[in-house]
Amino acid sequence: MNIHAYERLWLVASMVLIVGFIVTITYGTVGLGITMVDDREETISPDDVDEDDRFQDPRVEQVGENEFEAYVVSMTFLFQPDPIEIPANNEVTFYVTSRDVIHSFTVVGTNTNTMVIPGEVSAMTVEFDEPGEYGVVCNEYCGPGHHDMEGSLIVHPEDEYSLTELSVDAPDQVGPGEDVELTISIQNGLLEDLETTVDVEVGDETLEQDVTVPGGETEQVSVTVDGDDLEPGDAEWSASVDDEVETGTVTIGDDADDGGDEP
Amino acid sequence: MTDLFVDEYPEQARLVRAAFLTSFVALGIGALFGVIQALHRTGVFRIVESTTYYTVLTGHGVFLVITFTIFFLVGLYQWAVTDSLQRGPVDARLTWSWYGLMSVGTLIAAIAILAGFLDDPPDVLGSELSADVLFTFYAPLQANPIFYAGLVLFVVGTWLAGADWFRTWWAWKRDHPGERIPLPTFMVLTTMIMWYISSIGVAVAILAFILPWSLGLIDSLNPTLTRTLFWYFGHPVVYFWLLPAYLLWYIVLPKLSGGRLFSDPLARVVFILFVLLSTPVGIHHQYLDPGISEGFKFIAMTNTMFLLLPSLLTAFTVVASMEHGARQRGGTGTLNWLRALPWKDPAFTGMALAGLVFAFGGFTGIVNAGMNINYLVHNSLWVPGHIHTQVGTAVALTFMAGSYWLVPQLTGNRLVGRQIALFQVVLWFVGIVFMTNSMYRAGLIGVPRRSAEPQYAFDYEVGVGSMTELDVQLALGGVLLFVSTVLFLAIILLTAFNTDSDPLVDGTIPPALSGPEDSPRVLDDLRVWIGIALVLVVIAYAIPLASIVDRGGLFGPDVGPFPVVVDGVMYLQHGVAYVGVLIT
Ligand code: HEM
Ligand SMILES: [Cu+2]
Ligand SMILES: [Cu+2]
Repeated sequence: MNIHAYERLWLVASMVLIVGFIVTITYGTVGLGITMVDDREETISPDDVDEDDRFQDPRVEQVGENEFEAYVVSMTFLFQPDPIEIPANNEVTFYVTSRDVIHSFTVVGTNTNTMVIPGEVSAMTVEFDEPGEYGVVCNEYCGPGHHDMEGSLIVHPEDEYSLTELSVDAPDQVGPGEDVELTISIQNGLLEDLETTVDVEVGDETLEQDVTVPGGETEQVSVTVDGDDLEPGDAEWSASVDDEVETGTVTIGDDADDGGDEP
Repeated sequence: MTDLFVDEYPEQARLVRAAFLTSFVALGIGALFGVIQALHRTGVFRIVESTTYYTVLTGHGVFLVITFTIFFLVGLYQWAVTDSLQRGPVDARLTWSWYGLMSVGTLIAAIAILAGFLDDPPDVLGSELSADVLFTFYAPLQANPIFYAGLVLFVVGTWLAGADWFRTWWAWKRDHPGERIPLPTFMVLTTMIMWYISSIGVAVAILAFILPWSLGLIDSLNPTLTRTLFWYFGHPVVYFWLLPAYLLWYIVLPKLSGGRLFSDPLARVVFILFVLLSTPVGIHHQYLDPGISEGFKFIAMTNTMFLLLPSLLTAFTVVASMEHGARQRGGTGTLNWLRALPWKDPAFTGMALAGLVFAFGGFTGIVNAGMNINYLVHNSLWVPGHIHTQVGTAVALTFMAGSYWLVPQLTGNRLVGRQIALFQVVLWFVGIVFMTNSMYRAGLIGVPRRSAEPQYAFDYEVGVGSMTELDVQLALGGVLLFVSTVLFLAIILLTAFNTDSDPLVDGTIPPALSGPEDSPRVLDDLRVWIGIALVLVVIAYAIPLASIVDRGGLFGPDVGPFPVVVDGVMYLQHGVAYVGVLIT
């Protein structure tokens, strides 16, 4: 075949360019150890999402020192959990599945971006160095409300991050002059011990109690407020640990139930 | 001056005109929808509800990249085959049947799409008439069955068109034993080989899975499988849009520049490379898909990079041919020859600008193809940026420019308003620069594509400029493009009715500087290339498809349909599901 000299030169230059691109990209992925979304996860029927350990309660979990896992469910037109809260400078693996159609899970302005296909679980390990609040959007058209599909990802500074959950057992009503006893369960989702303080307020009374919750466990703390210190009538209470707060109302004295106020 | 095409082949000219008419009607509607989107997304002006935006977007995608481009292709190819073989088809009834089938298919699909504008669409074949599924129709989003049926008819029509051209060529070959295939016909035949190999994917996706599923005959499918079959077809289809533009660049542009094609052999090599490489790359659209292993993505990436080769070679040949033309016209110097080109000719200027935009867009394509950088831009507005520089300009503007040259030969009428035509192609260029500049930049900061209201609770981190500035550029670019389209259509319409005139064009195509005799005959042995192409396809796809079926089953892990109908029931269902989830 008769090829002009310039053509030959151009052909060679083109091949060099192409091989150059392939090498650069290979280095940029394999070389730097960036893993892509792939087929490492088993398939899951959208009907089974509610029975799956990971997805029935979408959440973030600590699985090792500096290692977290986030289980996220996409559906028309929202993400669960929302917001997703993770610590900075830790490895977080997102597992995302869809309950219905194809969506994406996209942290805006970053390369944390994956398609979410019903039947499949997308897994992707990332590390965020910059604390802050990031927008999460679905960037694959999923129906008429597609543009409303938004979530958020909050990256906390590592030392401010906790996976603490609080639940409070409190009476609805106590007799006049009776003590009010609150039982506060503090669940520590992190692997290391949580040393913290429980702040309790009932009416105008405030109490404090230190507590240490071992990693992965739940501790109960009981706090008693002397009935004589409380005014008869409805008293607001709150219990807080770090940023978690629970609130409620207790009725002091045998106020007749007026029935009308109940929701 | 030779006889005009319309005088030599009146029947063929009629068919080409009919194909162009359908194509341009689609262009008009598509451009109207485009400007609606540009204004809506940016919040400048919202004429439809945001939920209806997706009806508009489905129409924009289907009418432009299916109807406009492919009807233009069949018209152009009918012209190319007839003109270069100097004969009509063996049986004109076949020719009109494929045109009819394609038109009926388009009409049916269009009805399904446009029904999305009705408040209360009628029921057809057991489900509501609507097709808000965008041109990619990813299951389990579900359209009315007639939408898929329309697409099937359309594709079958294109298959018959290919068969028609092959038949014409076989007949020609009997009369011309031992002759090389004329270059335009060679391009047509190779394009169609690529099309046959690739459209099998979408045909299987629709006929085996999506259509029966939308009719309720099967109740589940594997979304990863149908999606992979779609992209098996989805990458080559971009070359199906592009190759007619290449044909114009190789065959017509050198002539418009005042010269001759630089190298016929290289042009053949380029088209063969497309036959071989366009299909085994589709997985590059699925870099972010779960369920496909990294190895397959890697193979697709490598193949994609090699697919750069034919485009780089084209850049060389086109520029070399233009330079040759300019020098024939008295141009001199290293770059000064550029001035000697016929910049006043809208057909030339349009194609040259299209080529320029294509070169730029090609670089953005390399970014998409990089499987690591792709994570940053996938499904962001960057992608429509790429779409509009490539098919939206390299192809669309070349088609418009080519029409300025071809339509007078098809009608026997003089082009109306040459000056305005020149203004029109430049206006398109300006419009696309604004619109895609905004799209590329917005994409890099994470603004998603395919969104009626990409305004969220968070703020985008715009590096340079501001969100308002990006929005204004997109809206402005969109309006300029729309105006440019209207001008184009007006010029063509007036030309069609400008019967009282004689065209100023000369339709003869001069032979290439380096002719087919400089190349080995094996280039024309199409069976060899079909064989190699099939082997490459099997290598690239057999294992990925087997693995997808093995993982998720042929009919999927029990995935139900989601008809896209904008109504309360759907929201209610999801509302209930959501509340259910909150409670459990
Ligand atoms: C008047 C000229 C045009 C305007 C104003 C325009 C505008 C737009 C806009 C704003 C989008 C983004 C929509 C979104 O993602 O939310 C879009 C998408 C698109 N446009 Fe255009 N466009 C024009 C012409 C064209 C042409 C000529 C073609 C192809 C031949 C084309 C093909 C497409 C495609 C394929 C998409 C993606 C559709 C999808 O995501 O489903 N456009 N267009
Ligand atoms: Cu979504
Ligand atoms: Cu592609």
